[in-house]
Amino acid sequence: MSSERANQLVEAGLWLRMSGDHVGAQRLFERALELDPGNARARQYLEGGAASGGNGAPFVVPPPAQVLGRMTPVAPALEGDWGAWAEGKGGLEEADSRKTPAPVYLPVEGGNNGRVDALALLAREEDAPEPEVFSFPEGDTQEFGVPSSGGDTQEYGVPTGDSELDLLLRGAEDLLELDDHSGAVDLLFKAQELAPGDARVEALRQRSEQMLMAMLESKLGDLGRIPRVRLQPDDIIWLNLDHRAGFVLAQIDGAVTYEDLFALSGMTRLDTARILAQLLDEGVITVG
Amino acid sequence: MAESEPLIGIDLGTTNSIVATVQDGQPVVIKNRTGVALTPSVVAVSKNAKRLVGSIAKRQAITNPQETVYAAKRLIGRKFSSHEVQDALRSLPYAVVAGQHDDLRIRMGGRDLSVPEISAMILQELKADAEAHFGRPVTKAVVTVPAYFNDAQRQATKDAGRIAGLEVLRIINEPTAAALAYGFGRTVNGRVAVLDLGGGTFDVSVLEISQGVFDVVATGGDTYLGGEDWDNRIIEWLVFGFAKEHGLDLRKDRMALQRLKDAAEKAKVELSSVRESHVNLPFICTPPGGGAALHLQATLTRDKLEDLTSDLAERVVGITTEVLGEAGVRPSELKEVILVGGMTRMPKIVEAVRGYFRREPCKGVHPEEVVALGAAIQAHALAGQDSELLLLDVTPQSLGVAIAGGYVRRVIPKNTTVPTSATEVFATSKDFQRTVKIMVLQGEHEMAQANELLGEFALTGLREAPRGQVEIEVTFDINAEGIVSVSAKDRGTGLRQSITVTASSGLTEEELKRIIEEQREYLLAARLSEELKTKRVELDSLARDVVDALTRARLLPGGGGLAADAMPRAEQALEHARRVRDAEDVAALTRACELLSGCLTQLRGSAQSGARR
Repeated sequence: MSSERANQLVEAGLWLRMSGDHVGAQRLFERALELDPGNARARQYLEGGAASGGNGAPFVVPPPAQVLGRMTPVAPALEGDWGAWAEGKGGLEEADSRKTPAPVYLPVEGGNNGRVDALALLAREEDAPEPEVFSFPEGDTQEFGVPSSGGDTQEYGVPTGDSELDLLLRGAEDLLELDDHSGAVDLLFKAQELAPGDARVEALRQRSEQMLMAMLESKLGDLGRIPRVRLQPDDIIWLNLDHRAGFVLAQIDGAVTYEDLFALSGMTRLDTARILAQLLDEGVITVG
Repeated sequence: MAESEPLIGIDLGTTNSIVATVQDGQPVVIKNRTGVALTPSVVAVSKNAKRLVGSIAKRQAITNPQETVYAAKRLIGRKFSSHEVQDALRSLPYAVVAGQHDDLRIRMGGRDLSVPEISAMILQELKADAEAHFGRPVTKAVVTVPAYFNDAQRQATKDAGRIAGLEVLRIINEPTAAALAYGFGRTVNGRVAVLDLGGGTFDVSVLEISQGVFDVVATGGDTYLGGEDWDNRIIEWLVFGFAKEHGLDLRKDRMALQRLKDAAEKAKVELSSVRESHVNLPFICTPPGGGAALHLQATLTRDKLEDLTSDLAERVVGITTEVLGEAGVRPSELKEVILVGGMTRMPKIVEAVRGYFRREPCKGVHPEEVVALGAAIQAHALAGQDSELLLLDVTPQSLGVAIAGGYVRRVIPKNTTVPTSATEVFATSKDFQRTVKIMVLQGEHEMAQANELLGEFALTGLREAPRGQVEIEVTFDINAEGIVSVSAKDRGTGLRQSITVTASSGLTEEELKRIIEEQREYLLAARLSEELKTKRVELDSLARDVVDALTRARLLPGGGGLAADAMPRAEQALEHARRVRDAEDVAALTRACELLSGCLTQLRGSAQSGARR
């Protein structure tokens, strides 16, 4: 039982690491090792993370895996790309609602070295509108003996939505116990996409969001203060930001307050606060 | 001696607005609280339900399009069914719905607001800026409108002022205000052309100035030509260049588009004074497949901008030619040509105007400020401080009645000083006609249907006679408040009917009163919320200091000689502060701050004496 739980924690930890939350990931790997000291994957990821410098370490890409149904995307250089997790409006991907999450690998029932791209599963809904290179007119699938819908999960042999939801919920609860509200919110957003109406997810998400928001606001201090960019434009381009963080940074002109930036960003208050807190932590902006 | 009440002049523009006043005899622009003269005429409700006005609203216009209202001036005082509104609806991203009286409502923040309410938000912002400048309340203003605005549009602008808590002393025409700012009321007798190229509209007016009387003899333009067109050309150029390099269309990304728009406007402004401008937009987009975000870096030269927008400059000249042609005014007849609006800073525009008129146009250092300055001058004159420059209230457009054949017979021509009265005699157009319908119209078009219908009534029971034999006397009366009364009398029988027309913005008096009350409550709530926020920040800061001081005091031997009750009192004060922090009670927060402040003084005093020991 504890081994299974440890595996779940490892998966949740990997997911967080892919999202850029290395601290949260590390905590989960540690917790997995506490529950199952013999868990090789937890040790491997923990050591991998520690050897490469923890938070500042480059992401270790898992060994190539057999991924059915889609190409394994090349793991993007997510390390330090901390604006990437900001969920909100904007971004080129918004236009066609496609996202290309980095893969997380789940052990496949039946052993062997086969792994399944867990994020492909988690992002199943998002992948749906992805343009198909080869498409068949509706109804034609029958001709080829493939059911028109609902067959995907079966085909790839991955767990059903329920177990994924439980996995995410448990991961989130663990993270909340560890006071990692940021990681918990990320997992809960994912959980909410899987089960939009689930009251447990909603309650937990609201609670962790409120807590996270309070923590971020406390980090930012008085929201009426005016942040300023510390770096010269020539130095800014060497930062590793995504377009959302770039947008927020572009709005900081020495005249707008934090509160104004929440209104200007076009993103949720939480996403904006996360970006601002990170910009502050990294010394990109300053106040006063 | 009591200081006289401050008076302001407001240029309520389609794209930007400005407030000005006269100080020590000189007209001056009042900068807004962010330190700039121009306040974008944009209002919005942000995602966190906060009302935004001005620059902050403009900067989120693309990322929050449904909740951002701009160019409300195009809609003010118009009927929902009018073609101007229907045309505007095609390009507006926010929702506009029909009101109860064929007026229109703008949906923002989950509410349907009248256009005067939206304009009032901008006026309120300008009023607040003026109050911050003077340090006392401001309640009186002169507001400018385009020369072609009819009575309903002028009344709606007045209503906006009322909602904003301003008594609008007078509505004056924008070109007149510009001419006033140049002092032409005193120095020029003759015709003057005013070319106003703003952010979204281009207005051409010809004024006849005679002994200080300003008469708008011609007005026209293009309500969809302005600085934004120049910005859009720059955006297209940047987008095209980026697409060529990276194969990505930045217009699909709202955040990228917002940044492009801001950068394009900035580059355009810069290129009026320098030869080239660098556009630097780091992390403009993340490629769809992930990976590092891309930067946009480009250099735009003035020559390139002129090349990209040469047709727009040609349109400026073309429209000017058209308006002058329609008015039968030759460029050589003009005494002066005034350039108004930020876009007239562009060297290419100045060159085009100079080429057309064959004279150097008057352009101040800040062409976008002259209308507000003129309004301030007029407000100053109205206060009795300069009666020479007092403009008279005039009818902005002609008033008349519809006649046979679908034509209009003008009874009171435009620019007639009010109060006034005029009578015309008409005859029946059909044999044995028993009824005549009097349709009261406003406008300059010779066809009845192209004018604004102010009201109609019927005079019945006419004497039966062949056509042309029954004479009807129609009298128009306009009182000092601009209220129009029209009466028709059968000269043979003495039978009489009449109608009173009051210019309406589309809002009834009851609606206006309710909106004014709502605004008052909103302002009170906003002020309270601001006070609460300030007090909470003060409380948090004091609480942190008290906790620090307590920690230090505990470390000192014997508490640093602190009175026995000092530490428990500080702890109590902290507990009290925690309890009242989230309450909506400014007095309780103030009291909590006082308690903490008292404790802090005591704790710090002990720490200093402890350290000396």
